[in-house]
Amino acid sequence: MTGLDLSRSVTSSSSSVRRVVRVTAQIGVLALALVVWWYGSVSLPTGVMPSPVDTFATLGGFALTPHFWATVWETVWTFLVALVICTVVGVPLGLAIGSSRIATQSTRLVFDFLRTIPPIAILPLVLLIFGPTFEMVLVVVVLGAIWPILIQSVYAAQQGEPLLTEMSRSFRVPRRWFITRIFFPGSLPFIMTGLRVGTTICLLLTITGELLSGAPGIGFEIADAKNFLDTPRMYAYVLVSALLGLIVNGVFWIVQRRVLRWHASNRQDAAA
Amino acid sequence: MRAKRTGWPATLALELWLPVVLVIVWWFASSASTSVYFPPLSSILTSFAHDWLDPVGLAKNLVPSLQLLALGYSLALVSGIVVGTVLGLVGGLERATRPLLETLRAIPGVALLPIFIVLFGIDVQMKLLLIAFGSFWPVLLNTIDGVRGIEPLLLDVSRVFRVGRVRRLVSIILPGASPQIFAGARTALAISLIIMVVSETVGGNGGVGYFLLAAQRNFAISSMWGAILALGILGYLLNIVFRIIERMVLRWHRLQQARLESHS
Repeated sequence: MTGLDLSRSVTSSSSSVRRVVRVTAQIGVLALALVVWWYGSVSLPTGVMPSPVDTFATLGGFALTPHFWATVWETVWTFLVALVICTVVGVPLGLAIGSSRIATQSTRLVFDFLRTIPPIAILPLVLLIFGPTFEMVLVVVVLGAIWPILIQSVYAAQQGEPLLTEMSRSFRVPRRWFITRIFFPGSLPFIMTGLRVGTTICLLLTITGELLSGAPGIGFEIADAKNFLDTPRMYAYVLVSALLGLIVNGVFWIVQRRVLRWHASNRQDAAA
Repeated sequence: MRAKRTGWPATLALELWLPVVLVIVWWFASSASTSVYFPPLSSILTSFAHDWLDPVGLAKNLVPSLQLLALGYSLALVSGIVVGTVLGLVGGLERATRPLLETLRAIPGVALLPIFIVLFGIDVQMKLLLIAFGSFWPVLLNTIDGVRGIEPLLLDVSRVFRVGRVRRLVSIILPGASPQIFAGARTALAISLIIMVVSETVGGNGGVGYFLLAAQRNFAISSMWGAILALGILGYLLNIVFRIIERMVLRWHRLQQARLESHS
């Protein structure tokens, strides 16, 4: 166990050395992935896979056009509106249902069934009704992403500390006070879990909806580029969708840390 | 624990009344419907029986989908668990590959469909790979977390007692990570179901996605509602099967949790 003792006695200078090693290794792996991509692009028949250079050059050219930013905004806007609808409807409804055992048990089978329908299944029908529009994508995204948020909120309502509930009852804490200061903060960590899953699904379904229906946005650009066999454009927009996913994850993580700053899991983090 | 005191008939009634009421309301509200998009439930059920309960329809619409799903999902499970275990055990490798993995994971699986079509064509192999690629990530990341989260004391003890590598893997590491692996596998199942439907809309191998597309082109609204119903039932049944397997495999975990709780 000498290794353990050594690692305990390390000074800050060797921990910064370790960080340099780690970052170098990470950059190395990313570079290696780019080399593999480049090798694939030159060994496959021309036009099948664009080289990373072509792809990034295309992306750089796009970044100067208003059309690109309008496209990205289209996707982001649909995603945001869907997320807000899912949250505003799903969280209060879930908390209300979860506060009553009768309501929870009555709705369990219905929610379980609706949750398991792949949202893509309703896409053709919604497409016939609305056409390839913003509203159409919104309906598909909301109907697909609301379930994890709703179901997790039902669960969250039941996770309050029983001691706190009993104590506030014996101290006759006013109902409004109880809801805002004890019930809601107690369920917030579990609500956030549902919101994180819901956020990922919202973005996934927004791009999927655009791709399959032809509604404007990143998904449409990917499908359109494929129809013209414009592979650099196709890869560029797939890259954009990945970047968007990374940004959304990062923003969610920051929001979660702020909202749950008081929570034990973050307090421990801060101490370490 | 009040739930345990009420008898099971009461619980069953409580869980069933709303679905029954909803179906009855749907039936009567739609019975006189002349709307093109919201046909009467009776005609939806007729197309459902024709497309999904009839052996011919079943063989054409459901069997190809299930084969695709089973193969693609298994591929994702096996590769995700193997790679995840390696990365979970070799901390340096995991840290070095983390940015790459996070980037690849952030690509929405369906967005890769056009790329996969250009690379692999529109045959079954392409669909298999797409399902496997899309559902690989939740399994991988959860396996990494599960393996890394194993009680270090257990590993130390096993090292002190000179437990062999293979035995350590089979009887300590994989069981210890299995609750996390199952959480990832559950997410992966939902994802593979979505990618399955989407990938079947290209090519002509039949399946649920192909059926949906054909129904849309023929403006067969009742068939589309029937397919939504069928996919809902399929998803529900798959979830039940998943839960049964999870219960069987994680029996030790539940027992251990219960013992811990009774001690505290």
